Amino acid sequence: MKSNLEVENLIVEKDKEVGKEMAKLGNKIEIRDLSMYYDSFKVLENITMSIPCRSIVALIGPSGCGKSSLLRCINRMNDLIPNSKVEGEILLDGENIYNPSCEVIELRRRVGMVFQKPNPFPKSVYDNVSFGPQVMGIDNKKEMDEIVEASLKKAALWDEVKDKLRTSALSLSGGQQQRLCIARALAVQPEVILFDEPCSALDPVATQKIEDLLIELKENYTIVIVTHNMQQAARISDITAFLLMEVQGEPGRLIEYSDTNKIFTNPSDYRTERYITGRFG
Amino acid sequence: MKATRVDRIATFFFWILGMISVGILFIIVGEIFARGLFIALKPSFFLGKPEAMKEGGGILPMIVSSIYLAVLTLLISLPLSLGAAIYLAEYSRGGKITRFIRFCADSLSSLPSIVFGLFGLAIFVVRLGWGYCLISGAFTLALLNLPTLMRSAEESLKSVPKTYREASLSLGASRWTTVRQVVVPSSLPGIITGTVLSIGRIMGESAALIFTTGTFIRKIPLNPFQTAAPLAVNIWYTQSEALVPDYRNIVNGGAAFLLLMVLVVNLVARYIGKFYRRRKGLS
Repeated sequence: MKSNLEVENLIVEKDKEVGKEMAKLGNKIEIRDLSMYYDSFKVLENITMSIPCRSIVALIGPSGCGKSSLLRCINRMNDLIPNSKVEGEILLDGENIYNPSCEVIELRRRVGMVFQKPNPFPKSVYDNVSFGPQVMGIDNKKEMDEIVEASLKKAALWDEVKDKLRTSALSLSGGQQQRLCIARALAVQPEVILFDEPCSALDPVATQKIEDLLIELKENYTIVIVTHNMQQAARISDITAFLLMEVQGEPGRLIEYSDTNKIFTNPSDYRTERYITGRFG
Repeated sequence: MKATRVDRIATFFFWILGMISVGILFIIVGEIFARGLFIALKPSFFLGKPEAMKEGGGILPMIVSSIYLAVLTLLISLPLSLGAAIYLAEYSRGGKITRFIRFCADSLSSLPSIVFGLFGLAIFVVRLGWGYCLISGAFTLALLNLPTLMRSAEESLKSVPKTYREASLSLGASRWTTVRQVVVPSSLPGIITGTVLSIGRIMGESAALIFTTGTFIRKIPLNPFQTAAPLAVNIWYTQSEALVPDYRNIVNGGAAFLLLMVLVVNLVARYIGKFYRRRKGLS
């Protein structure tokens, strides 16, 4: 059991380390020459991109281009799919997460994920947020209360649920559930958070709240978001990656990767332009 | 006009078919209760000692045998079947081994229960030398119970949305933690319902127990290595072999009491399932 202070010190120390890494690399994540297969079907081919620390990177592209597959490579969620295979490397703070020595469990703690449909556990609001820390071994009640409160505040949900921490998370609205999932991800103090179309099941008001939240979270976390909504990518992201599967049955490729401004005002590839102007996809 | 008429006739037809199954249940239950309920509910009967030759015997040791047997059987089969179900639903990747396990379980569940009885007799009663006793019967019934319990647990585990597992794993939980803290708790209503329903089947089983637990006793069995006589077996025995002059009363009363027990167990199963679902906010 670590005391509060120790945990804080650890975080500070980790921040320092992260800072050093940043100075050295400038990038939180580097994807190098990544290809991915489901069985013998190649889903992604030769993806290379660098994701800077504390920024929002949006992955856009038509359905089936491999955006979600790429996202799920970053925390190795694809491992769950039998017969999936990855070639190339993904460096997180300079370390290849596909090295055999990489601890997947620790990786997933550092790289959190929020899914397309809000998926809170059928437990109370409190138990949802405390799940991750409890798995990590925190069992001090007071410490846990603090983590839960801090996480819910960071997810801009505290004021709405502070009086119903013990009620079932499934009684919350869709937007609240999604923010609860964000709070749950934040509770394990990740460094990167992956968002897989987090607003696709939400109404515009709830979407607006999540978008505001993402921009706030950027201060402290590196964010990668898959989105179907190009306006959303334009509104919130710093860098945009456009993926495309040009011919059905061929793998998805990274067509263009640059500043969001540039992608949406002056794309260098004609396919990007055609996609963002809505001519296909 | 014609279509709506056809539709109405079809609806009525299927309603009739549905009602037939309800009717059959009511006729059986009604008949058994009409013959035996007034006997079954007499304290001197369900709290009484059985008689070997005289009339006026009770069935308390048989009731205790049935309950004792159900508990022992579940103690043996529940961990086994739950473990196998967790393997099949959570760990196996659906290859040849999984298909083979399922095939074996399905074959096992289609074996006639008298075959299990003879197997129990050969192995537990004779080979292991346990004799006719509760534990021999419990092991035999556990084998009989295993495939159904396993499949029902597997179905409940599989009905847990994949998104729960993903959420848990994405938070840095191991697979085992995910199973223990997310998947099993979420599927608990289903697992409990399946388990309680299997208690009903255990209490109703007779053929597998004729050669393993014994068929008639006068004392309440306390030690699991003691000979026992579960109610269902005793009904068969009393009807076909007993020397008591009032055997008809005992059979009717015993059948009514057995039915009551199974009915209560099934109602409890439904209630527990509902209760859990409501507490988890699932419905």
